[in-house]
Amino acid sequence: MEKLRLIIAREYMSTVSSKSFIVMTILMPVLMIVIIAVPLLIGYLNDAGSDVEQVAVIDETGRYGQAIEATNLFEFVPLRGDTVGDPRAFYDKAQGSLAAVVVIPHDVDSTGLVTIYSENTVNITLKEHIARSLSDTITQAHIAAYGVPNLQRMIDEANVDVEVKSVKWGNDGSETETSSEIAMVIGLVLALLTYMFVLMCGAMIMNGVIEEKTNRIVEVIVSSCKPFQLMMGKIIGVALVGLTQLAVWTVVMAIITMATGSVLGVNLLATSPNLPAEAMAEAQGSGFDIAAVLKAVMSVNYGQIFSCFVLYFIGGYLLYAALFAAFGSAVDQASDASQFTTPIILIMVVALYAGMACIENPNGPMAVWCSIIPFTSPIVMMVRLPYDVPFWQLALSIAALFATAAAMVWVAARIYRTGILLYGKKTSFKEIMRWIK
Amino acid sequence: MDNFIEVRDVVKQYDGHLALNHVSVDVPQGCIYGLLGPNGAGKTSLIRIINLITRPDSGTVTLDGHPIVEDDVRNIGYLPEERGLYKKMKVGDQIVYLARLKGMAKADAQREMLEWLERFDLGEWRNKKLEALSKGMQQKVQFIATVIHHPRLLIFDEPFSGFDPVNADQLKAEILRLNEQGSTILFSTHNMESVEAVCERITLINHSQVVLEGRVDEIRQQHKKNIIAVDLVPGCKLETNDQLFTLMPPPPGSRETLVRLCDGVAMRDAIAWLNEHNQLTGFHEVLPSMHEIFVETVKG
Repeated sequence: MEKLRLIIAREYMSTVSSKSFIVMTILMPVLMIVIIAVPLLIGYLNDAGSDVEQVAVIDETGRYGQAIEATNLFEFVPLRGDTVGDPRAFYDKAQGSLAAVVVIPHDVDSTGLVTIYSENTVNITLKEHIARSLSDTITQAHIAAYGVPNLQRMIDEANVDVEVKSVKWGNDGSETETSSEIAMVIGLVLALLTYMFVLMCGAMIMNGVIEEKTNRIVEVIVSSCKPFQLMMGKIIGVALVGLTQLAVWTVVMAIITMATGSVLGVNLLATSPNLPAEAMAEAQGSGFDIAAVLKAVMSVNYGQIFSCFVLYFIGGYLLYAALFAAFGSAVDQASDASQFTTPIILIMVVALYAGMACIENPNGPMAVWCSIIPFTSPIVMMVRLPYDVPFWQLALSIAALFATAAAMVWVAARIYRTGILLYGKKTSFKEIMRWIK
Repeated sequence: MDNFIEVRDVVKQYDGHLALNHVSVDVPQGCIYGLLGPNGAGKTSLIRIINLITRPDSGTVTLDGHPIVEDDVRNIGYLPEERGLYKKMKVGDQIVYLARLKGMAKADAQREMLEWLERFDLGEWRNKKLEALSKGMQQKVQFIATVIHHPRLLIFDEPFSGFDPVNADQLKAEILRLNEQGSTILFSTHNMESVEAVCERITLINHSQVVLEGRVDEIRQQHKKNIIAVDLVPGCKLETNDQLFTLMPPPPGSRETLVRLCDGVAMRDAIAWLNEHNQLTGFHEVLPSMHEIFVETVKG
């Protein structure tokens, strides 16, 4: 045990104190922030830097010219159609002071068609703004034209958005509002976390094993401890490295998000004041109730999800980590490893897609089987969890996972102890099967 | 003299290839022992078994009178032929880590590590990464890591390969010093000069079997061809006597005069005759070198 502890400690310290680890750990959150912040910043600079431009609105109906309100980028100058004449001539006469010319034809009430002319490509937000303003105004004008009192109110009242609220009956007759969607999203996110973690750490383990082998230090080490201890030390040490990295990322991301939220975030929102208001209005209009969402979020059975997550995370990690360690020991250099890693990654991709497919039919036969088969269960079962998986399936799945992981560690140890001392041979799957015997 | 290591009837098979075929080796306590054999003869397989890296298919290994167990690794120091250390790890940390893996306490390992680095003039490199050191210095670090935990058995697989002559001499001196302090030394090599110079006993393995075993001086006596080298006064020609000896062609690159005694002739009679009929300035018996015995045994 003392030796295992020493190996884990060395594995952890040497990785965590390496320059590449420190750089990656710091750079990753910065990179994420940059990826998120740059588009926002560009949008902000785009708006802030440009002058307000003028758009002429040639209104042939004489009724809708005023309907388009100015935005922070465009001012609209309503003109009567009979006073302007040819739009092209009018545009040319303005000698570039106009960004565009909007023509509202006299038959707009029946056709619903307006045209925007410009020598430049027309900004999409401008088009949308014009379309929205005119649609609202013209619709209201039509409703008013029917001459029915309170027609607008009747239409509003007649419009019904049906919302499905799910309520879960407990055995004791209690009722709780649930949201399986939210639970499933949480499950999927956690499964993805497992997936990324396994791939990241698996690569680290394999490179570590190959490095020790090509360095030839492995013979010195195994003359002091059992190959199994060396392998497990690496698997556990790398897991601790991965968890450290995740923890640092989480903390750094949280700090940066909060910091930007309080400094930059307010500024960004302030430049487009009508956006949040509109969003709120829209949200309320569609029956989106924040209180209800919160209630649903609270209703998720986090105890079950997180305890299962921990179990599947450990089991899945051990299963795949042992494979990576075994295959790392079987090759002389990293470039030879792809014949072995490709099948592992293929299995993991299948697991991921099976997990995605489960969202559609969480109790279908594929979902059930994939959530019990150990290689896919860490991902698929996490997605299925919110849909009240029968206890026997859960128990079978976890038992199968841990049994397979233990068997895999055993098999990997046998491959490993032969592989690390074997040089200069191209190893095939067939050969590896012989080592296990 | 008690045997420190006793290998009894060890068999090891790899994938249909027999690496060790009923091999027995006794290494006496405090001895400098040579394990010889051409490449692929099974030396490394045997060393890995003594090191507890692999297990024999059958046969036993005893260390200091008891069957060897996992915990005995702390009594063994092993310098493999293919050497290597962690390139990115600091020299001092690396030595302490390997010492602790052998079961040394942290404080002891720290203290010894500093002493050994000073002894090899590597004190200032303690906090440098291994990759910053020259190859010769890395080899010294590896040697320190092999011996730091005071192993009672030291196993060196081709220890002098890759060392320049100055470092090789320093290494040899250190190995002899450790032997004087009581360590039993096992060399695995095909460098025959070093065997003659330092080893008391050898075992020669060929094709997975022991083909020759014993004290180096006795083996050389056993393999002698009854050859005498005679030194004559310059300008004189050797008087010969076909009944007693035959003149041999001089060995390539040498002007030595060699004679081989005929069967049944005592050396003293031959020397007496030679002395009587020639103007000798000296003579000595020529024993075969270990190199010759090795080649003869392996080929024959």
